[in-house]
Amino acid sequence: MILLLKATYYEILKIFNRMRTYIGFATVTLLVPMIMYLAHRFGFDVQDQALRALGDSVMFVGTLVNGLLVSYYLMNVLWVHFPFFIVLVGGDIMAGEAAAGTFRVLMTRPITRFQILTSKFIATFFYTAVIVFYLGIVCIGSGVMIVGGGDLFVFDKGILILSQNEALFRFLIAYGLAVVVQMVVAALTFFFSTIASNGIGPIIGTYAVLVVSLILSVIQIDVLDTVRPYLFTTYFDVFFAPFADPIPWREIVQKSLCLGGYIIGFYILSLLVFIRKDILS
Amino acid sequence: MIIQTHNLGKRFGDRWAVKNLNLTVEKGQIFGFLGPNGAGKSTTIRMLLNLIRPSAGCFELLSQRVGSSGKKIYARIGALVEKPDFYLYLTAEKNLEILAALSGCNSRQRIREVLEIVNLQERAQENVRNYSHGMKQRLGIAQALLHDPELVILDEPTSGLDPEGIHEIRELIISLASEREMTILLSSHQLHEVEQVCTHMAIIDNGSMVVQGAVKELLGKTDFYVTEVRIDRPEDAYQLLKTEKWLDDITLDDELLKVHLSADSRPLLAEFLVRHDFRIYSIIPRTSLEDYYLTLLKKRHGR
Repeated sequence: MILLLKATYYEILKIFNRMRTYIGFATVTLLVPMIMYLAHRFGFDVQDQALRALGDSVMFVGTLVNGLLVSYYLMNVLWVHFPFFIVLVGGDIMAGEAAAGTFRVLMTRPITRFQILTSKFIATFFYTAVIVFYLGIVCIGSGVMIVGGGDLFVFDKGILILSQNEALFRFLIAYGLAVVVQMVVAALTFFFSTIASNGIGPIIGTYAVLVVSLILSVIQIDVLDTVRPYLFTTYFDVFFAPFADPIPWREIVQKSLCLGGYIIGFYILSLLVFIRKDILS
Repeated sequence: MIIQTHNLGKRFGDRWAVKNLNLTVEKGQIFGFLGPNGAGKSTTIRMLLNLIRPSAGCFELLSQRVGSSGKKIYARIGALVEKPDFYLYLTAEKNLEILAALSGCNSRQRIREVLEIVNLQERAQENVRNYSHGMKQRLGIAQALLHDPELVILDEPTSGLDPEGIHEIRELIISLASEREMTILLSSHQLHEVEQVCTHMAIIDNGSMVVQGAVKELLGKTDFYVTEVRIDRPEDAYQLLKTEKWLDDITLDDELLKVHLSADSRPLLAEFLVRHDFRIYSIIPRTSLEDYYLTLLKKRHGR
């Protein structure tokens, strides 16, 4: 156990000593405040769209747009765009060692393959959690500072108005669930990384599966109804669930358990591959 | 027994890279592990170090059956397998710190000691990315010694080092065995190095054991003596001798005849040359490991 903890600590240290780890952080740091500034300076199209959807039944005076609303819409990057920063690091965590030949040095130590893989998996989880929460903090922080705070208007199913404090609480839950969603992506890329011997293969492989899976989850064709429950992307919308009223806890737990199953499944597959793998490079 | 393999084998597809290998290394030996490229040396070492799984047989390290003891036994073993690879984006010291922690020793003092042993203490804070191949090689040896192991497995440890570095590593290997009582398994293509350093050796070819034993004993076997002969008219002598059945082989190299024959047959050679009116300047029996090795493999391949 102590060896596993030590190995995990050093895996985290290795992750945060690499340049590629900071690509995601740098992008979020630069891009999100810029979007907030642009939303503040030039307006945010969502207000018009939302009011148009409500037709003539509501007359609204003032502005709906604030930092929380923009942050809410920015959560959509978690579907396809943001996973890039996860696969960039997660895809390299096993394959990178294989390509660099460092497994040879690492595995001549009294540490088991189970411990090596598990420590890397935990480190990947840690990175995923850190970068997802960083996105949340930058979105909400820069949103409130640049665009301004206030009540959050959610228009997905009618109008839901959340006070700023309530909205912040919902964001906290949402980003916690976003970690689970991104961890599925991380676990998938980790599995590919265990098989591959370079860092590019897992990135391409994960994105191919992710995009195809998302398309199949979203397209409304009856014949796909039987396939959809088996696609992990079907449960990806769980991070938007906290913005309903009341919060659908049952749905959140069910979807989280499904996603957790995928995470454990990909971890077990990775373990089975790695334990039998001959280290030749 | 420090290393004992029992009919160890590894198959890649249909090809056996190592087959029925019975290797025995005892405490305190500096054991040379020799063989041509593709003979199965690295595969054997990888099996011993748990990098690849054997397809057949089993082995013991430090008198413990590997598998039953888990990986704890590797806390007593240091290794450098092929080229030394490290985390290039970390300093040498940080690399060693990680490996030390995973080996169950965490002493900064020990890290400094091993860096000093391999003469890298002044560049310990540099990223390994900036290291030359020779420096990485020395760092590779440092990581193998980090946890003060009882058995050190070194695969081509002097590869890429300058002559001074090679000399230092040879001296280090000898001192590790004599002063720290470490057992060393040394895989190398440098026959001269093995001859100078090793007390025992094994030669494998096509994945099978050809011979193993004490270096002195093996080289003392008369069958493998090469006799260097300097005479007048070496070309004529070469033409005459190459048809003779009582010698194993003969080559002419820059007016020097190299005759492969047993020590018992050496008087016959002198007699033969005198009888054919050659003037003999010198007849020198040589028993270098290189001759031994080449002769052995030639015989094995029927050349």
